[in-house]
Amino acid sequence: MQADLLQGTLDLLILQTLVLGAAHGHTIAHVIEHRSEAVLQVEHGSLYPALHRLEDRGWIASFWGTSENNRKARYYRLTAAGRRQLAQQTSRWEQLVGAINRVLRPAKE
Amino acid sequence: MSWLRFLHRDRWDQERRRELQAYLEIETDENIARGMTQEQARYAARRKLGNPTQIREEIYRMNSLGFIESLWQDLRCGVRMLCKNAGFTAIAVLTLALGIGANTAIFSVIHAVLLSPLPYDNPDRIVLLMESDPAKGFPTFSVSPPNYVDWRNSATSFEAMASISPGTFNFASGAEPERLRGARVASSFFTAMGATPAMGRTFLPEDDVVGKASVAVLSYGLWARHFGSDPQVIGKSLTLDGKSYRVAGVMQNGFQFPPGAELWLPSEFAKDDLGPDARGAHYLWVIARLKSGVSIQQAQGEMQAVSSGLEHQYPRTNTGWTSRVVSLSERTVGNVRSTLFVLSGAVGFLLLIACANVANLLLARASARRREIAIRFSMGAGRLRIARQLVTESILLSGSASGVGLVLAEWAIRALRTLPPSNLPRAESIQLDLPVLGFTAVIAILTGLLFGLAPALQITRGAPVETLKEGRRASSTGRHGVRSALVVLETTLALVLLVGSGLLLKSFVRLQSVDLGFQSRNILTGELSLPRSKYSTGQQQIQFFEQVLERLESVKGVREAALASGNPMQGSNYSFAFATKDLQALAPADQPSAGYYVVSPNYFQTLGIPLLAGRTFTREDSQGTPRVAIISRALARRFFYDRNPLGQTIAIGAGQGTVWREIVGVVGDVKDDSPEEGAMSAYEPYTQMAWDDMTLFVRSDGDASKFATTIRAEVMAVDKDQPVADISTGEQLMAQAVAQPQLRTLLLSLFAGLALVLASLGIYGVMSHTVAQRTHEIGVRMALGAGRSSVLRLVLSNGMRLTLLGIALGSAGAFALTRLMKGFLFHVTPTDPVTFVEVALFLFLVALLASYIPARRATRVDPVVALRYE
Repeated sequence: MQADLLQGTLDLLILQTLVLGAAHGHTIAHVIEHRSEAVLQVEHGSLYPALHRLEDRGWIASFWGTSENNRKARYYRLTAAGRRQLAQQTSRWEQLVGAINRVLRPAKE
Repeated sequence: MSWLRFLHRDRWDQERRRELQAYLEIETDENIARGMTQEQARYAARRKLGNPTQIREEIYRMNSLGFIESLWQDLRCGVRMLCKNAGFTAIAVLTLALGIGANTAIFSVIHAVLLSPLPYDNPDRIVLLMESDPAKGFPTFSVSPPNYVDWRNSATSFEAMASISPGTFNFASGAEPERLRGARVASSFFTAMGATPAMGRTFLPEDDVVGKASVAVLSYGLWARHFGSDPQVIGKSLTLDGKSYRVAGVMQNGFQFPPGAELWLPSEFAKDDLGPDARGAHYLWVIARLKSGVSIQQAQGEMQAVSSGLEHQYPRTNTGWTSRVVSLSERTVGNVRSTLFVLSGAVGFLLLIACANVANLLLARASARRREIAIRFSMGAGRLRIARQLVTESILLSGSASGVGLVLAEWAIRALRTLPPSNLPRAESIQLDLPVLGFTAVIAILTGLLFGLAPALQITRGAPVETLKEGRRASSTGRHGVRSALVVLETTLALVLLVGSGLLLKSFVRLQSVDLGFQSRNILTGELSLPRSKYSTGQQQIQFFEQVLERLESVKGVREAALASGNPMQGSNYSFAFATKDLQALAPADQPSAGYYVVSPNYFQTLGIPLLAGRTFTREDSQGTPRVAIISRALARRFFYDRNPLGQTIAIGAGQGTVWREIVGVVGDVKDDSPEEGAMSAYEPYTQMAWDDMTLFVRSDGDASKFATTIRAEVMAVDKDQPVADISTGEQLMAQAVAQPQLRTLLLSLFAGLALVLASLGIYGVMSHTVAQRTHEIGVRMALGAGRSSVLRLVLSNGMRLTLLGIALGSAGAFALTRLMKGFLFHVTPTDPVTFVEVALFLFLVALLASYIPARRATRVDPVVALRYE
């Protein structure tokens, strides 16, 4: 259960990162770490398999591009299906977080 | 996962490699921007990414058809490993092939003999009905015709019941007469067996009536052999025992009951056969088909009630007689079952020993491969993945071994199939068919798991870093525990098998050395059966036999020729109740019985049976002179005590009009029934008691077998229609009598011998390995002044400790298990201490030798070399 949750979370974060535009793996990891104020450390051992999985499902697409420093890099962008998936997963995530919060901090009577 | 992706997975991998490379470059750039040196920056980037190969592999796996893919990889890798270590592979495959082959062969026998149904319709409903008088020593016995008729009329548990009277018939056809095996059966026989004819019909109820038109049913084989598979055979006539029969039908191919029967005639019960005196004449087999829903127990209950009714009605003949209901398949294979049970246990043990041996080999090799595996670990291979690869290798090993094992099993089966049915019923149907192959496949996988799992777990347990640090001196004491335990296990199992085969061997030797009371060397025997139609009077029969004997005795090279109503080499044929003047008052049912032979004067001399007192029969004992008899020593001792039996009288065949015969001689006992005890026998001259069914004995100067054609020719010179059947030498008959104990002794000894070889190889292997690993330690000891003998003792004591433990455990195991073989033993108890000690000592010595060789190698260790080796 926990593994599923975390894996799903990484997928969600990747999709969210790509909403802003295409990015390569390094940027994706960087953005996630930066935006979470370094709380979430992305393991590259799971990042690349996750990217592969998302691409396999058709939620993201990839192409080769040139990086800021003129290096060749593989870029990923969100597909239409990916956008739908992101909306769906976000709302599920919010429900889940809300539910957990209600359990942890019961509303005052 | 799509097939397309699967096929393109290598291109994908290239992509990923480039992508990861790009990542490293970008990260390095950033690190440099953060102020690191080029070197530091690259190192930090690598550390951040982790193991790129592992990431690639994970993605690669996502693209592949997981299990099949890695299985294929493992198989290829396994084949490479096995080919690289050809010596190891050969030994392991051969060891396992012996175990798997033996198991396959024994299972194929069990499958064909015990598990496959008999070739009849609903064979589990066919039962044999027998009479039984345990108190008189007849746990199962033939049925008398009047009892059969009463059973058939009153029992309600059966759909059909039929009498069978097996017999032989002289068949006159073409140049040489032939004797055919067959049976006279009641018309309900074919219904009870559930057998239908291939053509024509079987018997009808009206065929049971004596004197109606004579009809015969042929077996498929006889129809093909003698009638050239003539489709118009129905209605044709054939001559049996000089009488003409019309062919009514031909049975399906494969139908042969009683075993060996080639033709069936309707039963003929004359008035006398069903009369009150005939109730004591037991000679019929009775089979029946249970009604559906009736169990054997229920049928048994009813039959017992019927028998006790007859006991009350006819106390004179039926007192003590009850009946038994046994399933036909049980009866057909009953005595083989326990043999096969013991043998399958033995091959199971053998396979376990083979597994232990191969596991030991694998463990030894595991230490050599420890570095390889450790490197794989550090390269990112998962534990499960490595364990799976090792197990795949093991199963590959056991798979190849089953291939070789199947070849071995096929050889064994070919040998077993040639055995006569008396040794192994249904032997002809043994084959490597689908169920047997399935069995082999299952044991191949199981053995692969059994011997592969332990080494695989062992090897993947340790910390890889430690192993790499250890360097090439891969020594670990932990693994020794498992290897030693395996050696103990092997020794234990081998000892159990050795004790078992030792007991059987001892029994067999004692069985062989029993003095049977007669000579079988240089003797040729044959069966003569005179048809009543041609030789209706006793005088004609006596005349025929006299002429045959006279002609045979004048043949050059023939010492003696004799005749008897039974052949002691095949077990006595007849047993009759008898009375002396003392026993006369007893009811017939209580009178003692003895083996009974009608013989020609030369019989005792021909068979080397010693005359102990009085005289043998002569030509003067004839129809006109007073009736005489000869008795065996056991009978004389038991019933005449210290009185001289000569001149006393005896009546044989009680209840049929008592005729008193004077005892003129006492001869040695003949163990014709069982080697256990000398049976009481009584003899009568054939000239006073004509007999139409005789065994011919010819004793010659040298090899008797060359007289076979002479015997046929001389008999045909007296009567050209008279065949001589079953001509065989005394040696052949004696070999046949002990064939079954011989077979099981041979097989068990073979398995035990193999077990011994494998176990001593195991001990040798472990000791060699220990010595090799302790070279350094031994070198140190010797450098510090330890003598060769103390080194020798060090190594030997190690090996012997394991052996002794195995012997102790094995003795306990054998003690518990050998009682299962009680029925096979002759003059040896299942816990015979001498055998136990002998076997233990033998195994100890073999083990000593097996560890002495490596121990001597240890003493040759040069301390300087051993220490420098470090």
